Amino acid sequence: MKLEVGHIFIKDIQFGAESKIEDGVLYVSEEAVKAIVLEDEKIKSVKLDIAKPGESVRITPVKDVIEPRVKVEGRGGIFPGVIAKVDTVGSGKTYALKGMAVVTAGKIVGFQEGIIDMSGPGADYTPFSKLNNLVVVCEPIDDIKQHDYEQAVRFAGFRVAVYLGELARELTPDETKVYETYGIMEGKEKFPNLPRVAYVQMLQSQGLLHDTYVYGVDAKKTLSTIMNPTEVMDGAIVSGNCVSACDKNPTYVHENNPVVHDLFEEHGKTINFVCQILTNENVYLADKMRSSDWTAKLCRLLDLDAVIVSQEGFGNPDTDLIMNCKKIEAEGVKTVIITDEYAGRDGKSQSLADADPAADAVVTGGNANQVIILPKMDKVIGMLDYVNTIAGGNEHSLREDGTIEVEIQAITGATNETGFNCLSAR
Amino acid sequence: MKGGFVIITNNPLVEEKLGKDQDVEYENLSFEETLKKVRDRIYLGHRLLTHPLSGSVKPNETPYKSVMVSKQAGALDLRSAEIIESAIHACGKFQFRSDKYKPEVYKDFQVVDCTLIESAIPSVEYW
Amino acid sequence: MSKIKVVHYINQFFANIGGEEKADFPAEIRVGEVVGPGLALSQKFGDEAEIVATIICGDSYFNENLDKAKADILAMVKEHKPDVFIAGPAFNAGRYGVACGTIADAVQEELGIPAVTGMYVENPGADMFKSKVYMVSTKNSAAGMRDAVGKLAPLALKLAKGEKIGASCQEGYMPNGVRVNFFEKERGSKRAVKMLLKKLADKPFETEYPMPSFDRVEPNPAVKDLSKATIALVTSGGIVPKGNPDHIESSNASHYGEYDIDGVMDLTAETYETAHGGYDPVYANEDADRVLPVDVLREMEKNGVIGKLHNKFYTTVGNGTAVASSKAFADEYAQKLKADGVDAVILTST
Repeated sequence: MKLEVGHIFIKDIQFGAESKIEDGVLYVSEEAVKAIVLEDEKIKSVKLDIAKPGESVRITPVKDVIEPRVKVEGRGGIFPGVIAKVDTVGSGKTYALKGMAVVTAGKIVGFQEGIIDMSGPGADYTPFSKLNNLVVVCEPIDDIKQHDYEQAVRFAGFRVAVYLGELARELTPDETKVYETYGIMEGKEKFPNLPRVAYVQMLQSQGLLHDTYVYGVDAKKTLSTIMNPTEVMDGAIVSGNCVSACDKNPTYVHENNPVVHDLFEEHGKTINFVCQILTNENVYLADKMRSSDWTAKLCRLLDLDAVIVSQEGFGNPDTDLIMNCKKIEAEGVKTVIITDEYAGRDGKSQSLADADPAADAVVTGGNANQVIILPKMDKVIGMLDYVNTIAGGNEHSLREDGTIEVEIQAITGATNETGFNCLSAR
Repeated sequence: MKGGFVIITNNPLVEEKLGKDQDVEYENLSFEETLKKVRDRIYLGHRLLTHPLSGSVKPNETPYKSVMVSKQAGALDLRSAEIIESAIHACGKFQFRSDKYKPEVYKDFQVVDCTLIESAIPSVEYW
Repeated sequence: MSKIKVVHYINQFFANIGGEEKADFPAEIRVGEVVGPGLALSQKFGDEAEIVATIICGDSYFNENLDKAKADILAMVKEHKPDVFIAGPAFNAGRYGVACGTIADAVQEELGIPAVTGMYVENPGADMFKSKVYMVSTKNSAAGMRDAVGKLAPLALKLAKGEKIGASCQEGYMPNGVRVNFFEKERGSKRAVKMLLKKLADKPFETEYPMPSFDRVEPNPAVKDLSKATIALVTSGGIVPKGNPDHIESSNASHYGEYDIDGVMDLTAETYETAHGGYDPVYANEDADRVLPVDVLREMEKNGVIGKLHNKFYTTVGNGTAVASSKAFADEYAQKLKADGVDAVILTST
C-alpha cells in the first residue's frame, strides 16, 4: 500500500471573513467554524481563539489535538468510520496542514486536565507549543451527561479539522513524502535479507475519557489486529481520551505516529517494516491475556524478527505492556518497549506497576510525577479554575502570584509513550 | 462466569447503577482501603478479574475504586496477588488530594469509575 | 568569590606510602597538601576549587578499626569545613571502595557536607553505597584515572555549589534508584528504533529503564516423602543463642551463625533471642520459635510427619545486609547443608 503525504506549511493563523489558505497563512472564518461546531445540538456555545508559539498563553483543559488533513486521491476520507464513510484508507494521496492544529477544550469532568503552555518552561514539555493552534472551546447544553459531552466535543474537533483540511484540496504541497509497505510475500521478495519488523501499538480502551476508536470502532471491543502503517496517516485511529494528559495520544499523535514515521525511515534500508499491529488495554484481566496472546500470535504468524511496542497510559497498561513484551519475546521476536514512569515526586518509587526480565530494552518518556512551576500567563484559553484539580496539581497548584505548581502529568503530551518527545529519565 | 463475580466498591454510583443486577459489595472506604479489602479477598482464594489500577485517574486523586473478583474461592492465584500488591504499593506514589475537590467533581469521579467497571461486564459473559 | 574548599580522602597506596604491607596505616591528615589523585583533581578544578587537606588511611586500618577510624576522619573533615568531600576513586580495590563509600556516606549524613566518590561498578563498595552517595562509575584500574577525575571533579563542583544534579547518564554517576528527567537529543521513537537495530544485530544496547532486578529461583521438585526427609531451618530473622556469641550485627550483617540444636526441643526466652535490629524484638525474644519454628518441627519429627530436623540451623540478620553478602553466606552454608544430606530447607524471614 502506497500513500503520498503532501505537506502544506501553515506559518500563521488569522481570523478572516472567508476561510482560505494563502501564502502559508490560514484564514479562518469564525462564523463558518462556529456553525460547524454548533451542528451538534448538544453544544450550546463555542468560543474560538488562536494561540501561537512564544505567546504568553495557556490552553486548558485540553480535550484533543488534531491535525487537519484532506484526502485528495485514493479510497476513503479522513477519519473513516467517524467523519468519512467506512472505507480502507492509507493509499493514494493526502494533504496535511503542517505546523498547526485544532485544539479542542472543554470541561467534560470536573477533574479535567491537559495544559498546553505556548511559552515558558511548560512549553518545553508539550510538543503542541510549537504549533499554531486554533482553539475550540465548547460549552455544552445544560444537564448534559458526561458521555454525551465527551462525544460532542470529540466529533466537533474532527469536523473542524476536516473543514480546514478541505481548504488545501486544490493547493500544491510544499513537500511530499511517500510511504509504501508491501504484502507479506512481496515484502519478503523485495527485501529478502532485511529483518522483518512491526509496530505494536497499544490503545487505551477502558471507559469514559479512556477510549480510542479504530475506524469508528471502540477499541475495547476489538481483538488485536493488523493494519498498513499508512492507515493512521488518514485518521484511522482517533482519540477519545484526555485523562492524565501526559501519556495519552491525542489524535494528532495517531496521525503523526512517530514510531510509524521512524520505522519508515529505516524501511528498505535496515529493516522491512511489515505492518502495524493494534491491541487494546482493557479493564478485564482475561481480556488483557487474550489480547496479548493474540498479539504474540500475530507476531509469530507474520514471521517477525522484532517489534517496537508502545503503551498508552499509566498503571494497568503496565500489565498489558509486560504481558505483550513477555509473550512476544517468548515467540523469539525481539522487542523494544516504550513507556513512561511514575517514580513519585522524589523519583524514588518503583516506576512501573509491573515488570519482567524479558523487558530488557526500554525507552522511557520520563517521570510524570516531576514537579514543575508554570509561570502566570497573560492569557488563558479555556478555564483556569480547573487547574487546581487536574492530575498532578494539588490544593496549592494555583498559587497567589498566579503561578501553578503541578506535576508534568498535567501537561498534554509531556511523557508520551509513542516516543513523540525527547524527554527521558535515568 | 455469569453471576460468578462480585464487585467490591466504595463508589455509591456503582451500587446504585449495577447493584440491582449484579453482586455489588459497597462499603464507605478509602481508595487504598478498598484495594486492601480486595487483597484480603485474593488471599482467601478469590481471583482478581479486573485490573485494580484501571483508568488513568490516579489513586489518591479519585477517591473511588471498583474491582471485580470471582465469587468462587480456590487456591491462591499468585498473579492476582502480585497485581493487587503492586497496585497498593502504587498508591504511595501519589499525593493525597482526594479531599480537595469541589462537591460536584465527586459525581464525575463516580461516573468515570462506574464506566470503567461497566466496561468489564460484557467481558465476563464470554469467559 | 572565594574558592570552593575540598577535602580529599585516599588510601595508603594512592598516597605512595605502600601496598598491602602498609594497609594498617592509621588515619592521618595532611593540611594544605595535595596528594596522588588529588593532583589530577586540582588540575580539573582550575581556579574554582582547591583541596585544602588530604586524609590518608590504610584500607585494613579503616575496616578493622571502623568506629575509631570513622570518628577520627569525621573530626578531621569537620575541622576544615569543606564545601565538598571527595573519596577515592577506588577503582576495583574492594576494601578501599568500601572505605570510600563508608566515609563519604558518614560525612554526608553526620556532617551534612555533600560527598562524592568513585569506583568500578563491581567493587563491593558500589552496591553498598551507590544509593547513598553520588558514586562516579570508573574503569577497573587506576589506568582509568583521567576518565574518573573527568567525571568526579565537575560533579563535586556542582554538589559544592548546590546546583541541580542531572540524570546519572549525564553526570556519570551510577544509577542510584532516583529517577531524574532530562531531555535527550532524539525523540523516544527514534531511540527505540536505534535500540531495536542494535538488539537485532546482537550488539550491546543500553535500556533506559532497567527492570527491577529479579533473582527468581526455579523451585526444586517437591520432596517426595516428607516422612523420610531431613529438614533444616535457616533464617534471616537473626535468631541466635542468648548473648549472640558470634556478634552478628543488628544490621548490615557481615557474617552468619551456625548453631547446634541437637536435643533442643523448644527455643525459650532464657536460651535464644534475636540479633535483628529492624523489627520490634519483643515477641521474638519472648519465644524465638515464632521466627525459627523449632518447636513445631520437633513435634512433626515426633509424629513422623518429617523424617528429622537437621541438627544445625543457620542464621543471619537480613536488616540492610547487602545482597552480595547474603549470597556469599548462602553459597557457603548451602554446601554444608548438602554435605550433611539435608533434603529440604525452611527459610524464614521477618
